[in-house]
Amino acid sequence: MDGVINLLSRALFMSTPLALGATGEVIAERTGMMVCAVEGIFLAGAWAGFTVTYITGSLLLGFLIALVTGAAVAALYGFACIYLDQHQIVMGTAVAIFMTGFCTFFYRVIFGTPTSPLKVETLDSINIPLLCDIPIIGKILFSQNIITYLTFIIVPIVSYVIFKTSTGLTMRSCGENPDAVEVAGLDVRKIRFLALLVAGCFDGVAGAFYSLANVGMYTSEIISGRGWIAFGICFLGNWHPKGALVFGIVFGIFDAIGTYAKAIGLAGIPSELFSLLPYLLVIILTATRKEFNIPAKLGAKFVKQD
Amino acid sequence: MGKPVVEMRHIYKRFAKTLANDDVSLTVNPGEVVALLGENGAGKSTIMKILYGLYHKTSGEILIDGKERDIQTPRDAMDLGICMVQQHFTLIPAQTVTENIILGTYKGRIDYDKEQHEVEELSKKYGFEVPAGAYVKDLPVGIQQKVEILKALHRHARILIMDEPTAVLIPQEIDVLMHFIRDFAAEGNSVIFITHKMKEVMDAADRIIIMRNGAVSGCVNKKDVTATQLARLMIGHDLEVLKKPESNFESQKKRVEVDHVSIELKDGRKLLNDLNFSIHAGEILGIAGVSGNGQEELCKALYGALHITQGSVKLDGEDITHKSVKEHIALGIGYCPADRYRYGMVSDMSLTQNMMLKSSYLGRWDKHGFINWSDVSNYTEDVIKKYNVKAPDTSVTIGSLSGGNQQKLVVGREVDMGTNVVIFNQPTRGLDLGAITNVQKVVLQERAAGKSVLLISTELSELFDLSDRIAVMYQGSFVGIFKPEDLNVEKIGLLMAGVSLNEAEGGSDGKE
Amino acid sequence: MEKSKDSELLQTFLWTGGALILGLIVSFAFLPAVGEDPFAALQLMVGMTFSDSFNMGKILVKAAPLILCSLAFASTFKANLFNIGAQGQFYMGCICATAISLGCQDVLPPFLTILLAALGAMAGGAAIGYIIALLKTKFNANEFLVSMMSTYVVLYIMKLLLRTSLQESKHEYVQSDMLSNAVWLPKFLPGTTASIGILISVAAAIAIYFILKKTTLGYRIQVTGLNMDAARLSGIDPKKQFLIAFAISGCLAGLAGFIEVNGMQHMLLDGLDSDIGSYGIGIAIMANSNPIGVIFCSLLFGALQVGGTILSHETTAPASIIDLMLGIVMLFVLFSFFFRNRHEIKKTIKKQIALEGKK
Repeated sequence: MDGVINLLSRALFMSTPLALGATGEVIAERTGMMVCAVEGIFLAGAWAGFTVTYITGSLLLGFLIALVTGAAVAALYGFACIYLDQHQIVMGTAVAIFMTGFCTFFYRVIFGTPTSPLKVETLDSINIPLLCDIPIIGKILFSQNIITYLTFIIVPIVSYVIFKTSTGLTMRSCGENPDAVEVAGLDVRKIRFLALLVAGCFDGVAGAFYSLANVGMYTSEIISGRGWIAFGICFLGNWHPKGALVFGIVFGIFDAIGTYAKAIGLAGIPSELFSLLPYLLVIILTATRKEFNIPAKLGAKFVKQD
Repeated sequence: MGKPVVEMRHIYKRFAKTLANDDVSLTVNPGEVVALLGENGAGKSTIMKILYGLYHKTSGEILIDGKERDIQTPRDAMDLGICMVQQHFTLIPAQTVTENIILGTYKGRIDYDKEQHEVEELSKKYGFEVPAGAYVKDLPVGIQQKVEILKALHRHARILIMDEPTAVLIPQEIDVLMHFIRDFAAEGNSVIFITHKMKEVMDAADRIIIMRNGAVSGCVNKKDVTATQLARLMIGHDLEVLKKPESNFESQKKRVEVDHVSIELKDGRKLLNDLNFSIHAGEILGIAGVSGNGQEELCKALYGALHITQGSVKLDGEDITHKSVKEHIALGIGYCPADRYRYGMVSDMSLTQNMMLKSSYLGRWDKHGFINWSDVSNYTEDVIKKYNVKAPDTSVTIGSLSGGNQQKLVVGREVDMGTNVVIFNQPTRGLDLGAITNVQKVVLQERAAGKSVLLISTELSELFDLSDRIAVMYQGSFVGIFKPEDLNVEKIGLLMAGVSLNEAEGGSDGKE
Repeated sequence: MEKSKDSELLQTFLWTGGALILGLIVSFAFLPAVGEDPFAALQLMVGMTFSDSFNMGKILVKAAPLILCSLAFASTFKANLFNIGAQGQFYMGCICATAISLGCQDVLPPFLTILLAALGAMAGGAAIGYIIALLKTKFNANEFLVSMMSTYVVLYIMKLLLRTSLQESKHEYVQSDMLSNAVWLPKFLPGTTASIGILISVAAAIAIYFILKKTTLGYRIQVTGLNMDAARLSGIDPKKQFLIAFAISGCLAGLAGFIEVNGMQHMLLDGLDSDIGSYGIGIAIMANSNPIGVIFCSLLFGALQVGGTILSHETTAPASIIDLMLGIVMLFVLFSFFFRNRHEIKKTIKKQIALEGKK
């Protein structure tokens, strides 16, 4: 039983960056932009967060700089796609390759080649008094770290903004018919760029989660496609922040199963199978889901009339 | 009369390839209905989009209420009371009427109930019956246009610009619209409507500004001008009148036979409903009807692109009901689609490559899959010469040609592919008068060659001029098939609105 | 007409070449961060890369699989599809080539083994590509996501195999046995390690170019990619074209795997060429999916990789300088497309005004 509680607690933990990244993706895709550079932004966040925390000793500063870095990379991607007419998938790939090189190079520049990997103290969990003593649920829900708590708060806020405010109406309209928005006198390109910046902030923090909250170090393989899983979760969650959270948790569970396989009696199965499960799951779910609610003009270039 | 409310002086607008507005100057007075008349491509939309802030003028001044204004965005225009209803609706189908109307006017949390109520009040005030909570995708086109107008009214427009507002309306709806325009103007507001149809202009406008080739060619009061004079100002010379030669198509054999054809979807909706008709050799069967009543589906069904669930289609006695598009092409059926950008051509490919489009499986230009491009190129040159297409050479992209020239190429190709049957779906839409006449001549030529021709059009005059028989289509079925001499505009308008044959013949009270 | 084609080529060279050079200059500007003088480093890199035939041969070795992987991306790109999974299809090709070579090398004559390994690799890659396309056509799955995920799935399968059935007889490291000399791809340039793999790759590029330009198959794929609706109305079945394009794509990536295994590494190890898929995409993008352009860009990438390795051996610059250079060059080339387009439009406007003035 203890094993299951640990597993679920871990699942919620691992779901945090995925849910954050997916929510950022929802914000961007609702305005019609796909964040194809998501993997690169995650990596940038992980690297920046680790570097800053290692040098300054402050986790808070690490996460903050990771947020800013994420926004910066998203700004590069966004500027190129929105104002320089670049194709989103093409630009996303270019930025991802660039960030891989950039982060590895500068890790080397700053830290050289240490004989043993550099480490930082990871985020502590914060036990919410009283609530964390509730049997079973207490350990799972109320003994998490601050980023996880923030994520759970952010998701309903983003939901509210998208569906109940005029900002959200404008965002959704950009994704459905940007011409209508332009004709109404609003600046479609600015709205999309801002949405990308917000997504970049989310993605940067999500990336930093891996280096600062999970393993406490940085390697170039630290992200390994998780950014893409977050991208996929946006699709699977039907472009709704709630869906992003739900599927984030689903994938978090699979991640956790891999870690706790022995504890729950799945010792005989090769570890590689657990590693590939999340990716296989995205494939299966993508194939079986009937896509609805996809923003009508997602990914389509908006040609500003002049 | 007082000061003009809008004054545009010496406006020039240059795009990469064309000078769309060449020293355009015009004025609009308060309480006035101005028609901006001209052929397709004359520059009318462009000048109005400049006034609305969608385009930036290359040079010139705009004065509103006598003061010079810098209109950079639609927001600037709307702050001055200028609103524009676009030719292609800028509505969001997946959202409600209310959401579409309040877009961009709002800040903060949306009180959906309050806003919906306000929209309903506004709608009632002008006599529109628009369900404020409905999703736009569920509304018919006529109501969608009213939503577009409500957008402008919600913003307290006093200068309303409408771009080709009657393109999607039946005659009775056009009357209602003109009524609204006159009432709106009577309140002291100004209306500018862009059109290429002279008849509307003669009915509704106080003053007419005519544009041709990007410049203003005339500005007259309605009462001072005749239709012929207008036509001459519009196209620079007198209209050429096409004459349809006599024929006795009924004595010819029936080449296309459509028997109880229906297309029923899984949810029970019928895209086509029990169609029965035939087309003789050497006959043009015209189809009248508001867009969206099954015309597109009929064309696709006859071309093999849409699955027919009931009934049969025969060509020269052979059953072709369930044959594929590939097989239809091989049987000599040509199809000029209404939306040529989307269905009829690949805009980034060269003219030569576009000529190949329907022939990739025919073995006509290739041996075992290896294409002989120089043969195709020679063929393309022949088509260019025959149809007088203005193009520098065969290797330019088809997207770089003007609309009229693109259509000429598509028509030339399909007429060649259609050795037995040619389907024309709105072949002259969006073309200038010269190109229109050219295409209409081609349609008549195909008829003379003994082919079966299906002609779908929203221009009633075109149908009357060219068709041997006219069928009126409503909600997927034919209300009736008539000889042109047995129909008039009023009757056909009622039929297009779904009025039954008996009612339409019995009383012309315009009842719906 | 001839003149405009030549000037188009010249413009491409000037703009893309210019962007490339600018990108390289900017990347070299990072060298002082590791305490190196950029000019000296540049001289060193260019000098040593092109100084001897061994290094030049290495360029060909590096370029061969790059050509194939970028052709893989380009072929689906022509159909407006995104096969991001070339890396996974490459791995599949490696697995098949290794398994067949090891399995048959003692049983069948070498020529047959090599042939079977090549065919197996191509089939394996094509199968994965086909499955991805099938998911798209049957279930409307997003091929971008599915192909991206498939890479990781194949990667972990490969890791599992290398740890179990494909592992070397010594069972010490996570890698396969060395292939016997008999089934290595023959070399053809004395003094280098270049195998005929580069010849196969160039031949493949020419074949793809030919298919796209001259055959009805290639024509139909391109029509589908540029305008799916028009394709349907021309008797072309987009679904069939997707399946064909993805199968061809996977086949090419699989072939790259064969060339790497039988032509270069002569075995399969974990972590082999883990970026080749991304590089392939990058090259395809820079070459604008033109197969002949892909050959040149791949050679360039190969040269950069060889030069980068030299730099990292001879100076304090880390190996990751290569990735940085490639990333920066890619960005610059992409931006150059935008500026070139704007420049062309301005030129057209000037010409137009001049024409009107004459009237």
